[in-house]
Amino acid sequence: MLHASHLWLIPALPLLAAAVGAAAPRTARRLPVALALGAIIGSFLLSLAALAGALAAPAAKLTANFTWFWAGSTAVRLGWLLDPLGALMSVLVCGVSVLVFIFSTAYLRDDPRLGRFFTCLSLFVAAMLGLLVANSLLLLLVCWELVGLASYLLIGFWFERPAAAAAAKKAFITTRLGDLGFLLGLLWLFHATGSSLFYDGGAGVLEGGALERLAATTLPGGWTAATGIGLLLFAGAVGKSGQFPLHVWLPDAMEGPTPVSALIHAATMVAAGVFLVARVFPLMAADQGLGGVPVHALTAVAVIGSVTALLGALLAVAQTDIKRVLAYSTVSQLGYMMLAVGVGAWEAAVFHLITHACFKALLFLGSGSVIHAAHHEQDARRLGGLATRMRFTYVTFLLGTGALIGLPLVFSGFWSKEAVLHAAELWPVSHLPFLAGLAGVVLTAFYMTRLVSETFLGRARGDGAAHAHESPRAMTLSLAVLAVASVAAGWIGTPAWPWLQSQLTGAPVAAHGLGEGLGLMILSTVLVGAGIAAGGWMYAHSPRADDRAPDPLARRFPGVFAALVARLWIDEFYAATVGRLLRGAAALAAWLERWVWGGLVSLTGRVAETTGEVNRAIDEDGLNTGFDRASDGLRDAAQRYSRAQTGEVQGYLRAVVVGLAVLALLLVWGGIR
Amino acid sequence: MSPLHLCLALSAALFCTGLVAVLIRGNAILVLLGVELMLNAANLNFLAFWRFGPGGGEAGLVFVLFSIAVAAAEAAVGMALVIAVHRHLRSIRIADANRLKG
Amino acid sequence: MSTDYALLFRALLPEALLTATALLVIGLDLAWGPGRSRGSRLQMAVGAGLLGLVAAALVVWQDGSQGTVWAGNLRLDLLAVAVRLGVLGLAALSLLGLTGARASDQPAEYVGLALLATVGFLQMAVAQNLLLAFLALELASLSLYVLAGYDRGRPESAEAALKYFLQGGVSAALLLFGFSLLYGITGRIDLTGISVALAAHSDASLGAVAVGMVLAAFGFKAAVAPFHPWAPDVYQGAPPMSAALIASASKLAGLAFFWRILWSGLGSLSATSSLTGGAGGGWVPVLAAMCAVSLLLGNLVALAQVSVRRLLAYSAIGHAGALGLGLLAAGEVGPGPMFYYAATYGLASVGAFACLALLERAGDGDRIEDLAGLRRRSPLIAACLAVFVLSLAGIPPLAGFFGKFVVFAAALRIDGLGHPAGWVALLAIAMSALALYYYLILLKQAWIADDARARGRVDVPPAAALGLVLAAALLLVLGAFPALLLGRF
Repeated sequence: MLHASHLWLIPALPLLAAAVGAAAPRTARRLPVALALGAIIGSFLLSLAALAGALAAPAAKLTANFTWFWAGSTAVRLGWLLDPLGALMSVLVCGVSVLVFIFSTAYLRDDPRLGRFFTCLSLFVAAMLGLLVANSLLLLLVCWELVGLASYLLIGFWFERPAAAAAAKKAFITTRLGDLGFLLGLLWLFHATGSSLFYDGGAGVLEGGALERLAATTLPGGWTAATGIGLLLFAGAVGKSGQFPLHVWLPDAMEGPTPVSALIHAATMVAAGVFLVARVFPLMAADQGLGGVPVHALTAVAVIGSVTALLGALLAVAQTDIKRVLAYSTVSQLGYMMLAVGVGAWEAAVFHLITHACFKALLFLGSGSVIHAAHHEQDARRLGGLATRMRFTYVTFLLGTGALIGLPLVFSGFWSKEAVLHAAELWPVSHLPFLAGLAGVVLTAFYMTRLVSETFLGRARGDGAAHAHESPRAMTLSLAVLAVASVAAGWIGTPAWPWLQSQLTGAPVAAHGLGEGLGLMILSTVLVGAGIAAGGWMYAHSPRADDRAPDPLARRFPGVFAALVARLWIDEFYAATVGRLLRGAAALAAWLERWVWGGLVSLTGRVAETTGEVNRAIDEDGLNTGFDRASDGLRDAAQRYSRAQTGEVQGYLRAVVVGLAVLALLLVWGGIR
Repeated sequence: MSPLHLCLALSAALFCTGLVAVLIRGNAILVLLGVELMLNAANLNFLAFWRFGPGGGEAGLVFVLFSIAVAAAEAAVGMALVIAVHRHLRSIRIADANRLKG
Repeated sequence: MSTDYALLFRALLPEALLTATALLVIGLDLAWGPGRSRGSRLQMAVGAGLLGLVAAALVVWQDGSQGTVWAGNLRLDLLAVAVRLGVLGLAALSLLGLTGARASDQPAEYVGLALLATVGFLQMAVAQNLLLAFLALELASLSLYVLAGYDRGRPESAEAALKYFLQGGVSAALLLFGFSLLYGITGRIDLTGISVALAAHSDASLGAVAVGMVLAAFGFKAAVAPFHPWAPDVYQGAPPMSAALIASASKLAGLAFFWRILWSGLGSLSATSSLTGGAGGGWVPVLAAMCAVSLLLGNLVALAQVSVRRLLAYSAIGHAGALGLGLLAAGEVGPGPMFYYAATYGLASVGAFACLALLERAGDGDRIEDLAGLRRRSPLIAACLAVFVLSLAGIPPLAGFFGKFVVFAAALRIDGLGHPAGWVALLAIAMSALALYYYLILLKQAWIADDARARGRVDVPPAAALGLVLAAALLLVLGAFPALLLGRF
């Protein structure tokens, strides 16, 4: 049993390991590894103790708060929070981390920067654990940013590859967009309630008084403050958890080493968004009972979640890179979790989060095992026939697949997805999330069947696959443990024995047996079967002959397939809209700038030029470089501005005098006495 | 028009003359002169307010004495900098000093 | 009367110590320097200068805050003590950085001038009277003009100094003219008297012109748009440690200076208005608009820069917007957030310029590509630069993040979005996301890109290394324990 005031020990251990590892000389390669492993195992034991403490009183929010500093008369307070949600997540994060760490020792054995890798991983785990036990939105944000930083470092770990460096930048910038919302939400919340603590013996922001006030404050347009803050915080979650429309960074993030993909971009960090929304669920739900509110925060969550669930599954269908298939699958599954939170069943979301962490980590590590064995070949078109050469990896990968697509009764994914769908079915507002979820079930079964068939069945279609052999013991050990977890993790939350749900909510949830959801279970089983059958018919039945043969799906539906390969042109859409907008703003800015300088004379010329500029921008079609184009547009604007600084000091002085005149006019107009 | 207003009008005219010199003269030394004119316009203000204004005490007068000293120091530094630029560019045209930009 | 003078002497003892040190440094160099190497003359000058700064800091620390001195003309309150200590510390760090910069042929005079500029900064922090304020500002400015043009070998340095001087001269003239109008309206030159008289007086146009001119001078000092154009040229052309002093200590002192004039002196003109019935008016919305323009312009133009120093300059213009925001909020919540921001920003700037000085001495250009491979060439510089740049970018847990946090929180606390400062704070938050992009470009070059030209290691003298590590460590400590500064206000 761990007391709340000692919770800080859990993140402190890996943090210490990261600090010592960073300071260690480059020659001591084994030291950071040993430290990181020792620290994470220590944290794992501590989180087990914390879980025991939390489960002893699941309804109580055990906190340990302290004043960090005074800013004027306002105290900024931080604290730790011990409740089943945080404790369970800590156990999960530590557990998966232990396995991924062990896996990495073998996977990166020959990398010269092994020590640095483990230092970064430890930093990541420390920040992630800090995020989980924080009792303050501010502390959570600090950890949130640190998690992002560690992710940035790890995606770009192989910085010699330009793609890795670009992906790291894209991930960082895209998630920052969401973080902007988070920060605004935090400031607003702090402004409105004067506290950033979640629970503070009745004075926290997630407790009665503050929630009532937030729900009672209305903004223009009928929105409540709770809705506004909830939506802003959700924006942060959208960025971190790869939800539509900010999902574009997650597939690119697969440029990082595979263990990183498994730990950070599948099991833990990307789930932080879901965790955040689950953590502030009382705030998100505060406006639920009110009439006359145009948008409920949770409705937006449900909509975004269902769009993402469907979109991710669709995009996964046409990918050929193993890790990218899994990445889009992660996007889709995160969509399911958000959907569950949105329809009010946050405990189902956390359930799915836990099972997903197990089986997606398994799948990623399995793909890592394949990539390792096939000499860094990760294009499924050039793999194939690995089932016989890598029997152990194949079997565990199959188990993970079964969990992901939700094969009935045995696998964990079946139970958690059933919980999500069950909640979506009962949602009074709309049936669309439910239908999107069902469609996603078919697609999931389809693309996973495709992936397994292409990778493991048929003949080897490339040198890497032809000479592959089973991975070393440290890797298969992790696979084995995760495979067991992928199957068994579902048993803690079945309808017959909803232990997890009742612990999370702190109130007993009635077991309703298998009877109530039986129809749904049969339906989803049928859908899974249909997906497997379609995938098997297209891919397993008649596998590709060689790596250049067209995709069977492309032969049948060329138009659809092309659209999916192009990822529905979402990246291009950003280039065409955001990039254009910025360029328009640039033209406008340039016009304003020169007007100050050159006076009215050049006004007409500039207007003509601006229209020309806009015209050209409209004519130019087929932008194709994606999100990065947006930053180019920004750079353009900057260069135009920059040219205004001509180097002539009298030009500067003229600008200064014009500025002064404007200032004086404003002051006189404002009516200074 | 009271003496105060006359003085204020004169100082405003002086200030504007200085400002215009700063803005349009090409010769660095004339620009320096413009800055001095602006400072002196302010000094004239102080004197006028001290003599005709509502104030009490000798604050305005003292201020002027100090600011003349400051203006002298400023002129010295300014001339030194003009000479430094001249050493490199062989020119005292302000517009020639345009290496730094962007 | 005699006790009053004793108190005055005590209050001005730090300034006296520094002036004496400056003279001593120059005298020692004249007596001892001829025939010795530049390096040893520089070490002597820096050593003596550091002793003087430490002694002055000890005196300031010992005396603590004493209220007003000398018939209310000097104000030694908490902010004054904090700013004085901050200015002394930043000046000491830039002297340490000087040992890693390319040696000039007259090191002693450089140190002497830097000390005299510091005297000006110290006075700016305490002046409660227009005349003293003007003298302090001019002492600091005139020293800085010369420091900016100190590198006689480079035409850029002379050009930067001339540009700085011309804009500084115009802004000084504007400020003096504004002061003369304030004197005319109120008949007083002490800030307390001015604020009392202004509250009882009404003269629309003159007051507006006076306030406008004071704001313009503030804009110049802090590089707030549209009074910013000197900044990029000076940051690029001046010797790096002069630029460091201009970017750090000068801004910190200037902020304290204008906080006194604008809030203690012109506070009654801040927002109220008789003509528009209480809505808008006053200098607060105007300053807010300046800050907004500054934030936009600085951060946007920084994206296009290829020179590291110009990039820092435009980012400084962006930061000046946030500093101005702190100044706005200071009227409501006190100067704590503003001071914290300015001090930590100054630390990061001095550190970054010290890094650039070291690179310049090693013969590098100041293009962003020239940072490539820094990680291998000098891990110490690369690591410290990362701390400084990340702090400027506002990444927690470095001090820069809390600077932003407390200033934005303070601005939002005035009246949420009901006050212009709230909107500017939102803009500032958005801009800090944008700023991250160009800061990351710097770090990417230093940490990730490989050096195509395979240049050798960068040599770091021990004193310069000490300065770098001190600044980086302070940023970390102040970030982890903001209460060390914030808790005192």
